[in-house]
Amino acid sequence: MFCDGIVICPSGNMAARPLVTVYSDKNEATQTQIKLPAVFRAPIRPDVVSFIHDQVSKNKRQPYAVSTEAGHQTSAESWGTGRAVARIPRVRGGGTHRSGQGAFGNMCRGGRMFAPTKTFRRWHRRVNVAQKRYAVCSAIAASGVPALVQARGHVVDKVAEIPFVVSDKIESFRKTKEAVSFLRRSNLWDDIEKVYNSKKIRAGVGKSRNRRFKQKLGPVIVYGKDSGVIRAFRNIPGVSLLHVERLNLLKLAPGGHLGRLIVWTESAFNKLDAIFGTYKSASELKKGFTLPRPKMTNPDFGRAIRSEEIVKAVRRAPRAALKTSKVHRNPLKKTKLMVRLNPYASVLKRAAILSQRKAQNVDHPNEKLILAANAKANVARKAKYAKKTGKK
Amino acid sequence: RAKKLPQVPESILKRRKLRAEQKAKVTQNRVKLANKAKEKKQKIFKRAEKYVAEHRQRVRQQLSLRREASKTGNFYVPDEPKLAFVIRIRGINQMHPKPRKVLQLFRLRQINNGAFIKLNKATLQMLRIVDPYVAWGYPSLKSVHDLIYKRGYAKVNGQRIPLTNNDIVETELGKEDIICMEDLVHEIFTVGGNFKKANNFLWPFKLSNPNGGWSKKLNHFVEGGDFGNREGKINALLAKMI
Repeated sequence: MFCDGIVICPSGNMAARPLVTVYSDKNEATQTQIKLPAVFRAPIRPDVVSFIHDQVSKNKRQPYAVSTEAGHQTSAESWGTGRAVARIPRVRGGGTHRSGQGAFGNMCRGGRMFAPTKTFRRWHRRVNVAQKRYAVCSAIAASGVPALVQARGHVVDKVAEIPFVVSDKIESFRKTKEAVSFLRRSNLWDDIEKVYNSKKIRAGVGKSRNRRFKQKLGPVIVYGKDSGVIRAFRNIPGVSLLHVERLNLLKLAPGGHLGRLIVWTESAFNKLDAIFGTYKSASELKKGFTLPRPKMTNPDFGRAIRSEEIVKAVRRAPRAALKTSKVHRNPLKKTKLMVRLNPYASVLKRAAILSQRKAQNVDHPNEKLILAANAKANVARKAKYAKKTGKK
Repeated sequence: RAKKLPQVPESILKRRKLRAEQKAKVTQNRVKLANKAKEKKQKIFKRAEKYVAEHRQRVRQQLSLRREASKTGNFYVPDEPKLAFVIRIRGINQMHPKPRKVLQLFRLRQINNGAFIKLNKATLQMLRIVDPYVAWGYPSLKSVHDLIYKRGYAKVNGQRIPLTNNDIVETELGKEDIICMEDLVHEIFTVGGNFKKANNFLWPFKLSNPNGGWSKKLNHFVEGGDFGNREGKINALLAKMI
C-alpha cells in the first residue's frame, strides 16, 4: 500500500526545499541555483494518477460503430412451425442461394450482430479540474524522485541531477543536431538509445491500421518559451515536448505510471512556483488552487510510534491474558499437574502410599539405602551443630 | 593528527540505557511475583488441609450421630441433601416443550451433559418435570472432586477454558475467596454462600457414555432403568462416565 505523500528526502522533513543547480547546455554546473519548487513536495499518489490517467486517456477516442442497417437489409420472415425447419426468420423469394437462409439473428450468417455497437457510446470522461491538477502535481513530484524515475525504466545513472534543469539556451535550438549533442553531453542519450532499441512491430491488428511500430518513451523536455525547441527535438524518437503552462498528465505519467524523466529549462522551472503555488501561497495562474496536502506530514509511522516522545506519553500495553495450556490433561493421572493445582495432593498421595505399604507389610524398595543415607545426614548435621556451638 | 574515536549514535545509547532499566524492572518483578506465588501456594496448601480435616470431621460426626441414636433406640434423620448432580440422558429430538425449557434452564443442552444443581423446593419441582430425561442423584466428595479435576472447564469471557491453572479460578472467583481448585470443590460440595457463582463459573460437564452401558434409559431407576433420582447410586454411574 502506498502512503499519502511518500517522503524520500533524507532529512525526513516534508517541507524541506533544497537548491537545484542549473546546468548549461554542455552539462556544466552553472552558478545559478533555484530553490526546489513546492510542487515537488506534493503527495505522490499513484492511485490518483492511475485513475485520472485512465479517465483522461479516454478523451481522445474516436467513436466506432457498426452500420445501423447492418444485418437488416433483408425482408426476412419466419416460416413458422410445421415446416421441419428452425423458426428463425428466413429470406424470402427464390432463385438464389440467399433465399430461405436465416437472417436477422446474431447467430445467422449475414445477420446483425448482438447488441450492435453505437456511436453514442459514452466515449469521453469528465474529470474534476481539481483532481486533474492533483494528478499533475503528483506526477511532477514523482519525476523528482530518482528511484521512481529509474523504476519507470529510464536510464539515469549518469544524469547530473534529478530534477534536471538546463539553461534556457536549449529553447533556442534550431537544429536537431544541436539537440542530439545536448542530449549526449547531458548523459541523456542512453535513454534515447533505449528507445531506439525498443522499436518493435506492434502485436495485434493495429499494425495494419497505421500503428505498425511501438517503442518506449524517453525524456520530456519542459520549456518556458518555444524559440525552436519543438522543432529541434521533435524528430528524436521518444522525446516529448511540453510547455510548462500546459502540462499533460498523459505525457508526465504515461500509462498511468509515475516517474517520467523530465528535462526542465530554467525559465520553465522558475515558473513552477507561480503556476502551482507553494504551501504558503496559492497559485497565481490556476484560480483558487493550492498544492494538495498529504494526509500525514510524517508518513514514517513505524518510526513515529517508536519515537521517544510518543513512547513516553503512551500507556503501556495491557498485560497479556493468562497463559494457559491449550490442551487439557488429566490431573487425576498426572501427579505433576495435580500438585500444581493442589499442593496438598502430594501429602495425600504419600499418605496413601505409606498406608498401602503398611497394610501389605511391604517396605520401600530402597529402604536400606534410604536409612543409611538418612543416618549419614544425621551424623553430618550433628557434627556441624557441634562445630558451631563448640566454636561459640 | 589524532584519530577520532568511533562515536556511538545517541539513539543507540539511549536505547541501551532504556533496555537496562527495563531489564532491572523485569527481574525485580519476577522476584516479587515468585514470592507472591510461594505465599499463595502455602495458602492453598493450608486450605486444602483444612478441607480434608473438615470433611473427615463431617463424616465422623454423621457416623457418631447415627450410632448415638441407634444406641438409645432413636432414629437419626440426616439433613436433606443440598446438592444434586443431574445428567441429561436423552437426546434432542421430539422433546416436549416444558421439559425442554427446564433442561435449557439447567444448562443441559446436550446428551450426557451434567451439571450441579442446588436442591430446594423450586429445583426439586423442576427435576420432577424433567425426570424422564435425566439421571440424577447426590454426588459424593470424590465424584465432585473427580468431575472438577478431570472434566472441569470454566466459562471465561464466554469461552470454554480448561481448568489447568488455579489462576483461572482466582481471576474469576477471587472476590468470593475461591482461589484454587480445592476451594471450588469445597464450595460446590458444601453448597456455600457463593455456590451460584462458583457453579455458573463451571461450564456444564460433558461426560462420556457409561463404561458398561445403560440398563434401560426409558425406565425409571427404581423400575430397573436409568432415569430419575438414584440418590447415592449416582456416584457409581459417575465413576463409569467421568
